[in-house]
Amino acid sequence: MKIVLADDSRVMRQIVIRTLRQAGYTGHEILEAENGREAVDLVHREGPDLVLSDWNMPEMSGIDALSSLRGSGCNVPFGFVTSEGSDGMRERAALAGAAFLIAKPFTPEAFQEALAGFLDG
Amino acid sequence: MSSLLFESSRDDLEMLVGEVWSSHVDDRDGLEPAAPHPWSAEPGAATTPCWSGAVSVTGLWQALIAVDLAEPSAQALARGMLGLDEGEEPNRTDLGDAVGELANIVGGNVKSLMPGHHDLSLPVVANTLLEGATELLPQIVLDLAWRGEPVRVRVLALPPSSSHHDQFPEVSE
Repeated sequence: MKIVLADDSRVMRQIVIRTLRQAGYTGHEILEAENGREAVDLVHREGPDLVLSDWNMPEMSGIDALSSLRGSGCNVPFGFVTSEGSDGMRERAALAGAAFLIAKPFTPEAFQEALAGFLDG
Repeated sequence: MSSLLFESSRDDLEMLVGEVWSSHVDDRDGLEPAAPHPWSAEPGAATTPCWSGAVSVTGLWQALIAVDLAEPSAQALARGMLGLDEGEEPNRTDLGDAVGELANIVGGNVKSLMPGHHDLSLPVVANTLLEGATELLPQIVLDLAWRGEPVRVRVLALPPSSSHHDQFPEVSE
């Protein structure tokens, strides 16, 4: 399966990729984006099965990327991986059409719980 | 909003920073409480080579959350977050990225502890000590050590009676 991973931090993208592996999700193609704009472009070009996105990024935020995708009729499963995991942020994410929100710091178990049903192990 | 509100969350902050460390940096050697380190050198004294990362929180609560690491700790942080071997040297871009992401995670979680709507800035990183605007007063300072090297987490906030000023951090000389 194909996953778009958007985060302006290369270090965090590496941590997410490592955590996906530790959670048992191996063999998937990861397409990396440095901001929401790049993520939207990648989704339209590559048609991924899942988007994992940071919230706070330069150029275009994760929530704006999600709104852009939904506004264009794209319903790809979209989940946030963000340092802001308050009830308010989770509510905003859900209202915008996100499937889940994983809060940093996270564990492989948090990924397993959130990704069940979206990604083959 | 009272700055005292955050004081009750000191234990939460200690727990959070420990959790960040064990999850993403080092699951063997944890952070230990330590005596305050002289981050700002006295005139004539040698400056501690260090890295600082900081994020600003704006809204009803105006704050700056900063993490300070001595140079060896910053390098080990980047190695830990990137999963590099002990002998591998992270480049300066990755080193700054790791320090900024640490500040982002800690700052984002601190923001989540505060009720109401707030905005979080992108991280600012410097290969020197970042000072907050002078209007920001220390709310919590965690003096810690990791593998014998100093690590510090600071939460600075605007007193409740102050008006909203520019929160962008200034780089110390």
